[in-house]
Amino acid sequence: MSNANTGSGMEPDHDHTDHHHTGPGYATPQAAVEEGSREELAYVMCLYTGTDIDAPDFVGVVDLDPESDTYTEIVDRVEMPNRGDELHHFGWNACSSSCHMDGLERRHLIVPGQRSSRIHVIDTKDRRNPELVEVIEPEAVFEYDLSAPHTVHCVPGGEILISMLGDADGDLPGGFLQLNDDFEIEGRWEPPGEIEMNYDYWYQPRQNVMVSTEWAAPKTYYPGFDLEDVEEGKYGRRLHFWDWEDGTVEQTIDLGEEGKIPLEIRFLHTPESTHGFVGTALSSNIFHFWHDEDAGEYRAEKAIDFEAREHPDWDMPVPPLTTDILISMDDRYLFGSNWLHGELWMYDISDPANPRRADSLSVGGHFGDVQEIQGRELSAGTQMLQLSLDGERLYWTTSLFSTWDDQFFPEEGERGSVMLKADVDPRDGTLELDEDFLVDFGECPAGPARAHEIRWPDGDCTSDVWQ
Amino acid sequence: MARYQVTLDWVDGPTRTIDAEADETVLAAARPDAALPFGCRTGACGSCVGRLLEVDGEVSDETGVDVADAFAYRRTPRALKPRHRDDGYVLLCIASPRANSRIAVGSQVQSELVDNPWK
Repeated sequence: MSNANTGSGMEPDHDHTDHHHTGPGYATPQAAVEEGSREELAYVMCLYTGTDIDAPDFVGVVDLDPESDTYTEIVDRVEMPNRGDELHHFGWNACSSSCHMDGLERRHLIVPGQRSSRIHVIDTKDRRNPELVEVIEPEAVFEYDLSAPHTVHCVPGGEILISMLGDADGDLPGGFLQLNDDFEIEGRWEPPGEIEMNYDYWYQPRQNVMVSTEWAAPKTYYPGFDLEDVEEGKYGRRLHFWDWEDGTVEQTIDLGEEGKIPLEIRFLHTPESTHGFVGTALSSNIFHFWHDEDAGEYRAEKAIDFEAREHPDWDMPVPPLTTDILISMDDRYLFGSNWLHGELWMYDISDPANPRRADSLSVGGHFGDVQEIQGRELSAGTQMLQLSLDGERLYWTTSLFSTWDDQFFPEEGERGSVMLKADVDPRDGTLELDEDFLVDFGECPAGPARAHEIRWPDGDCTSDVWQ
Repeated sequence: MARYQVTLDWVDGPTRTIDAEADETVLAAARPDAALPFGCRTGACGSCVGRLLEVDGEVSDETGVDVADAFAYRRTPRALKPRHRDDGYVLLCIASPRANSRIAVGSQVQSELVDNPWK
């Protein structure tokens, strides 16, 4: 945290000196580390969309308590009311950004269908037995000429903002959909025409900034990855920096050839910082971005470069495909996954402009040293990450997106995904695969399921923002 | 309302013939008895794609059969590129029948749309 740039010089407008707050979440990122208890449950997006299994997608509840008889088992499944959603990313109705909002609770999960454009609300009052309570049907979303919901963050005060990747036809432009605290559509968040492509976003309210990334039009990425589309410029490579209060784009940075398909983007957790990182999946690089005080604008520079590798069964060198990144709650480490290679890496980012490789694991994918755990073939690479609040346990799943899985790991649809774990030593900067941990989504009652994003019930390293 | 017989031929799986009216989509006519894959239901995602094999008993030859002889689209099939349309691929969530037909269906048909570009 010590490297954080104080950015625009805006002063924090609230006081944590007495640590008194009655809203959701934690007073500071360090409070989350200290006060957050060990994760005992995980919510995991599980899906059958794109297979011949006649069952809806579901939110799986995974037991992570090592003392429990059902450790590593899927102890509950919240089934969606329809098939074909492609559950993908999800988020909370409230997080630490609303920590002074009395009466607001971190209780409802907003669970979009990436393909269906249907938005579900799940009440997690009973953490082990969550219940579906609201459904916003696709037709209601299409009325705002938006589709393909992706990233969900709460806005301080109880509203919810969802990045939408397409218009009602699955074409460009995308935008942002805002829900109120009764889970009703308020409307579009931004004035039309601010952006064309959209994907992930993160906001840093104390700096009055939001940053968004670019995948492609839904009609482009939904059916699968076609290199011809990259050559025709149909995939993104730009970052958009927004005025968070006004909802307008203030600056766009073209990352160029080295920055193709910028996906997951994270600011450091400390609310003072203007630094962050984005993984450019196709170019397989990590860019560091920050606010340049002298220039009065944001800048982005490539900070980590992952190389393609020759594989005897492939005609062309295999790109790593850097599909997910995550920053530890104490802002000391950046973790990420190279999905095609089967590599999970950990970089020291105490000097954000100069990340230092701390450790990595070679597991799954097309090059992983470890290809099975407890006799279970892994069938795919390291993908969606989640880290314990104390930074000592890293978990991941293996599915990226149903159609893309079918291209690059065709066996995953037949066998289902796995969720795996590594023990992290944040003092020594090391990772160790926990071979006693395996959640096998291949054994679900309706058939093998894919598994994507992971969340903890009480906030995690990719959900919480501080004002 | 005209009704047509549409034979759904799962790749490496069963075959089933359904009746579909000219004003309903194949996906809607198939449910709930035959569970076809689907996603967006707007023609953008391609999850429901089938490959046309026969129109009125005429078998596809190497040049393919014309989808327009068998189906009318309610919306533009945006998930399909020109090469897919030429090869007889059809989006069953937005296609209504105009003739008796036989279609290859199931998730394996979707995976025919794009290959691994590096392998």
